[in-house]
Amino acid sequence: MAAYLSMGEAHRRITDYLGRFSDAVSSQDVASLKHILSLSSNSASLLSLADALNLLQDANRLIKQSDRFSQFAEIVAPLFRCIQNYRLGNLVDAYPAYEKAANAFIQEFRNWDSAWALEALYVIAYEIRVLAERADRELSANGKSPEKLKAAGSFLMKVFGVLAGKGPKRVGALYVTCQLFKVYFKLGTVHLCRSVIRSIETARIFDFEEFPQRDKVTYMYYTGRLEVYNENFTAADQKLSYALAHCNPHSEANIRMILKYLIPVKLSIGILPTDWLLEKYNLVEYRNIVQALKRGDLRLLRSALEAHEDRFLRSGVYLVLEKLELQVYQRLLKKIYIIQKQKDPSKAHQMKLEVIIKALRWLGIDMDLDEVECIVAILIHKNLVKGYFAHKSKVVVLSKQDPFPKLMGKPVNA
Amino acid sequence: MVIQLKHPPNLLSKRTISTKHGQSSDIRPFSVLGSTLDYLMSLMNSAAEPFETVHDFIFDRTRSIRQDLSMQNIVDKRVIHMYEKMVNFHVISHHKLRLRSSGPDSFNISSLHHLNMEQLAKVLTSLYNLYDLNRDHNSVVHKNEPEYRSLYVLLCLNSESLPEGERLSLWFRRVPSPVIKSKEMSFARRILRYFRMGNYSRFFSTIAAEASYLQYCALEPYIDKVRALAVLCINNGGYKLHPYPMAHLSNLLMMEESEVESFCNACGLETSLDEQGNKVLPTKQPAFNHPKAGYGEYGFSGLENICRTL
Repeated sequence: MAAYLSMGEAHRRITDYLGRFSDAVSSQDVASLKHILSLSSNSASLLSLADALNLLQDANRLIKQSDRFSQFAEIVAPLFRCIQNYRLGNLVDAYPAYEKAANAFIQEFRNWDSAWALEALYVIAYEIRVLAERADRELSANGKSPEKLKAAGSFLMKVFGVLAGKGPKRVGALYVTCQLFKVYFKLGTVHLCRSVIRSIETARIFDFEEFPQRDKVTYMYYTGRLEVYNENFTAADQKLSYALAHCNPHSEANIRMILKYLIPVKLSIGILPTDWLLEKYNLVEYRNIVQALKRGDLRLLRSALEAHEDRFLRSGVYLVLEKLELQVYQRLLKKIYIIQKQKDPSKAHQMKLEVIIKALRWLGIDMDLDEVECIVAILIHKNLVKGYFAHKSKVVVLSKQDPFPKLMGKPVNA
Repeated sequence: MVIQLKHPPNLLSKRTISTKHGQSSDIRPFSVLGSTLDYLMSLMNSAAEPFETVHDFIFDRTRSIRQDLSMQNIVDKRVIHMYEKMVNFHVISHHKLRLRSSGPDSFNISSLHHLNMEQLAKVLTSLYNLYDLNRDHNSVVHKNEPEYRSLYVLLCLNSESLPEGERLSLWFRRVPSPVIKSKEMSFARRILRYFRMGNYSRFFSTIAAEASYLQYCALEPYIDKVRALAVLCINNGGYKLHPYPMAHLSNLLMMEESEVESFCNACGLETSLDEQGNKVLPTKQPAFNHPKAGYGEYGFSGLENICRTL
């Protein structure tokens, strides 16, 4: 297509872009500035600019042409290089050029007193991450070590530093934090989230309530997920529930993402979601798990975990769900107890280990006496069962009062 | 520490190369590094010196081999086998240093143990990166990758263990599917499940039946922890009039009977004899405590079988 582009037209497009850039800055027009900096929008104007740049090859001359443009040379020259590479599909070279432009931009941004350009900065933070991800994919595909996303993380920390001050720009810090979370989660270097979380939550310059709602929801979603991975279920419940309560009710995709982590947490503290909820947000992978908990059906829990193993491992909730087995055992024993109570209330509180073995065999699970005794001992230890076991008589003796204490919104004892 | 062994002199002088000043004449070529490493590994079983001396010697020299490899930026398949050997060294040291740490030099050895864990974490991370970098496009995993990946799980049964360690939930996200489905990883995941749930019965029987020597060495520190949990649960949940037979306990916990008795004592519990003269553990004793720094005092009944897998 460049063959159909004349030099004059190329000149015009580039000069036009430069003009729009400098006008946007001088009139503090953040909407236009956002548009100009957004690479991933793949807008027609960006693509046509890219063609012009690739034809002309030496845009620097045009930049230096007038003072109006040359004052932004440090930003625009690398940005042009980036756009050229981007158009040619060369993401590995596009990324460092964008980072250079972004770096020059934040030097200018620092000098502007008001926070007028904050949304443009958001665009830059977003683009840095997304470009780096694509560059790393390209590196991996060519058998090289991916390193751009790591660099993006360092750059975003720098941006965070620029916003972490007393002025009006500080409300942007949470957006950048969320971009950092996404970078660290992608890289698997999740422990790096700690320092930025500490800054947000303990620095006196920040007041959490001042941040934009959308960023607060994203922040609570990510920090909630971290609590899930660390198995702090009370804190995870609190954060993910916040995200759910303040999330845009029409954004079903976001609600689904939050529920994906909130449901395992709720299950761990004994709260079961309704079938309606699972259907509505297409979280049917949890359906059999909920059923297993209701019925004390160990086989169903294990088969549900196996059926969705990949999905649960990728989202990182597998280990949490696996631990629900203890609650399933509790439910199973409770059912046996109820049946025994119906047959002979005076003897119901004594449960032969053999009976438990039989119930498990009926579910297709083979367990010997030692293991059943062990499970009973653990359930007693964790206060899921009240009573004691008599080794010689191979019997569990349940407490006459409340032998199967409910979790009451608290996780099982560690 | 004086080393009495006779080494090929050029290969093994203690070296630390600062990355700024390493000259190309100082860096050993790949084939030399390979034979050096093989020689070092052969020293592992030498009885001439106490193990911590041998460990220290090999520790420094394998670290310098890694420096040479990384300065030459060798990251292809040839290096994988070398890193696997170095992991073997650190994992087996993990086990052997524990055995040595209830002696007179225990403070020094415990710091060697800690440093060894740190290096092990680094070497494992590098090895996993090498596996990822060298994975073929049809995503066939490297022959030993399942076992070496399983070691991370076993080292981290209790999430806080590995320095700067990634939570297992996060770590599993990036393990390739063929590794997840492998026999070695399935073993590790089951051991993890039994550990987390406190299923001491299956924990021990599964280790005896399925662990490789490396896997055993990696998870060994947790064995006494699970034993303590078992004793705690039995003491707390067992019927007062049915003291628990020690013979049965020793089978359950894969320990010699004499060792079980000493272990119960270390937990603050007393044992006694029943009417037939069998040793028993009375339950509902009030004074349970977790044994202090339970380093390497107690064996594992199935260990000879496991060692055969080496």
